[in-house]
Amino acid sequence: MKDYSRNFLFYPPLALASGTWGLGENLFKYYSPAEVKETFGVLVTKGISLKPRIGNLPPRIWETPCGLINSIGLANPGVKEFKKIFLTGLLKTEVKIFVNLYGEEIEDFVALAEEFKGTGVSGLELNISCPNVKKGGIAFASQPEVVKELVKEVRKVWEGSLWVKLSPVGPVLDVAKACESSGADAIVCANTYPGLVVIEGEKVLKGGVSGPAIKPLTLRLVYELSREVSIPIVGCGGIASAKDVLDYFVCGAKAVEIGTAFLIDPELAKKIAKELKEKWDM
Amino acid sequence: MQKVKIILNKKEAPGIFLMGLDVGKEYTKKCSPGQFVRLKAWDSFDPLVPRPFTIHAVKDERLYILYQVRGKGTRFLCRMEPGEEVEISPPMGNAFPQLKDYVLCAGGVGSAGFGFLLQEAERGSYPLPKKFYYAARTGELLARAQFFQNFSVPLALITEDGSLGKKGLITDVLKEELKEERPGAILACGPLPMLKAVAKLGEELGIKVHVVLETFLACGEGFCMGCVIPLKNGKYAYLCKTGPTFPAEEIDFERL
Ligand SMILES: Cc1cc2nc3c(=O)[nH]c(=O)nc-3n(C[C@H](O)[C@H](O)[C@H](O)COP(=O)(O)OP(=O)(O)OC[C@H]3O[C@@H](n4cnc5c(N)ncnc54)[C@H](O)[C@@H]3O)c2cc1C
Ligand SMILES: Cc1cc2nc3c(=O)[nH]c(=O)nc-3n(C[C@H](O)[C@H](O)[C@H](O)COP(=O)(O)O)c2cc1C
Ligand code: FES
Repeated sequence: MKDYSRNFLFYPPLALASGTWGLGENLFKYYSPAEVKETFGVLVTKGISLKPRIGNLPPRIWETPCGLINSIGLANPGVKEFKKIFLTGLLKTEVKIFVNLYGEEIEDFVALAEEFKGTGVSGLELNISCPNVKKGGIAFASQPEVVKELVKEVRKVWEGSLWVKLSPVGPVLDVAKACESSGADAIVCANTYPGLVVIEGEKVLKGGVSGPAIKPLTLRLVYELSREVSIPIVGCGGIASAKDVLDYFVCGAKAVEIGTAFLIDPELAKKIAKELKEKWDM
Repeated sequence: MQKVKIILNKKEAPGIFLMGLDVGKEYTKKCSPGQFVRLKAWDSFDPLVPRPFTIHAVKDERLYILYQVRGKGTRFLCRMEPGEEVEISPPMGNAFPQLKDYVLCAGGVGSAGFGFLLQEAERGSYPLPKKFYYAARTGELLARAQFFQNFSVPLALITEDGSLGKKGLITDVLKEELKEERPGAILACGPLPMLKAVAKLGEELGIKVHVVLETFLACGEGFCMGCVIPLKNGKYAYLCKTGPTFPAEEIDFERL
C-alpha cells in the first residue's frame, strides 16, 4: 500500500465532524483527555451563527437504510455564548479546534471570523452547505462566484486555517475551484445530501442524508475533485471503519471527518484510530 | 458500547419480550430507575443506530429490559438466544423524579421502567407509590402483571376489552378513583394519546403529572440535537438531556 501518511493535512488524520458531538459536553464521558489527542487531529464544532438559533420543530431526525436524515436547523447558542461557555473547555483538549461557521450573508461570515481572532481557535470551516435552513447554507453552494467572494472576504480578516465545507450537490467542481482560487486552505467534501422521508405514512421530513449510505457517493466526489484541485481535500461521508478511512485516502483525501458513526457509537472513532495506527502505521 | 451476554430472552405476551443481560455489578450499581440503555444486536448498518430501552429491572449483576417488537431492530432482538452477545451503552438519561404521595400509570410496555422503580422503592431508595394503574388493550397484553403483583404497592389492572381487571380506558378508572382520594402526583408512561389524556385529567383535577416521553434517538447523549420536545414557553428541551421524564404542564403536546 502507498504511504499516505507523509502528506496528511493534520495528525491523527481523523476529525470529528460538525454537529455530531454537540459542543463537547459529553465527549469526556467516552474519551480520556489522552484518548481525545490520540484519536483526533481536529475537532470541528457545531455550526455557530451570530445570533442564537433555536433550531427546527420536531421531527428533526430519522433513520433511513444505512443512514440518517436530519433537519436540526443549526440549533446553537450563538457566537457570544459559545465563546463564553464552551470554547475554553474545547481549547483545553489541546486538539486543534475548528469552528464551523454559518451565516446568511457574506458579512455574517466575516463578522463571525473576526470574533475568533486571537481566541486560540486553529481554523474555520465555512458551512456553505447546510440543507436545513431557509437562507444561506446550501444556497451559496449553487453560486461559485458568491463562494469566491465569500472566501476572499473571510480571508482578509482570518489568518488561521480556512476550510470550506462543500455541498455534494450543485456545481461542486466549480465551487471547489472557486475556493482554491480565493485562498481557502482546504475543502471538506462534503456535507449531507438533500433528501426526504415520510414518517409513519404522513409526516414529511426534508433534511440532509448522512451515514454509510452516502459513502460511495461522496467517495466518488473526493476522487473527482482531487484530480481537479490542488488544495487538500478532507473527506467526509459515511465513514464507520478503518477501511472506510483508507478508501478516502486512496481516492485522494488528505484527512477525514467522522460524523454519523460517532452518533452510533462514540467509541468507534477510538477503535478506528487505533487500527489505523497499529495495522497501517498511520 | 460494551458487549454483554444474554441470559434470557423470553416471550411474555404477544409481541412483548423480556431480555436479561449479564452486565456486571459495576454496571448495575450505576443504574437508576427511569434511565435507559441503547442496545445493538446486529453487525450491519441497517438498522443503523442502537435502540433505546428503559431499564425494567436489576438484580445483582443482571439488567432486564421489557420490549415490544415494532420494527427492524426489535425483530433482531427478539431472535437472539441466551448465550449470544449484544452491545450495550452506559445507562443514559435522567432518573425518575422522587415524588411524594403519588401513583403510577402505565399503558402497555410503558410499564417497563416501573419495575425498577418498584424494586428501588421497596429497598427504600425511592418513595413508595400509593398505587400502580396498569392498562392495555387486552388482558394478555398486560405483560409482567405477575411480577408487578409481587410488590407491596396495590396493582390495578385495566383492559379496554374487559378481559382482565377493570374494563375501560386508564383515564376512565383514574377519573373515578382519583376524585375520591387525590394523590399529590401522577407518574405516567405509555402511548402518546394516553399521556395526553392523563395530562389533561391531571390539569382538571389539579394533580401534577409527570410523563415519560419517547422520540427517535440518534445518539442519546446530547450530540445530535435531534430529540427535541417542544415546550409551552416556546423553547425546546432535549429528551436525552433533560428527559425522558418531564412535567406534563411544560410540554406543548400540540407541537410534539
Ligand atoms: C428513552 C426511550 C425508552 C424506551 N423504552 C422502551 C422500552 O422499555 N420498551 C419498548 O418496547 N420500547 C421502548 N422504547 C421504544 C423503542 O426504542 C422503539 O420501539 C424501538 O427503537 C423501535 O425500533 P425498531 O427498529 O424495532 O423499529 P423501527 O423499524 O425503527 O420502527 C418501527 C415503527 O416504530 C416507530 N417508532 C420507532 N421508534 C419509535 C419511537 N421512539 N417512538 C415512537 N415510534 C417509534 C416507527 O415510526 C415505525 O413505524 C423506548 C424509547 C425511548 C426513546
Ligand atoms: C445530526 C447532524 C448534525 C449536523 N450538523 C452540522 C452542522 O452544524 N454543520 C455542518 O457543516 N455539518 C453538519 N452536519 C453534517 C456532518 O458534519 C457531516 O458532514 C455529514 O453528516 C456527512 O458525514 P457522515 O456521513 O460521517 O455523518 C450534521 C450531520 C448530522 C448527522
Ligand atoms: S438523541 Fe441526540 S441529542 Fe438527544
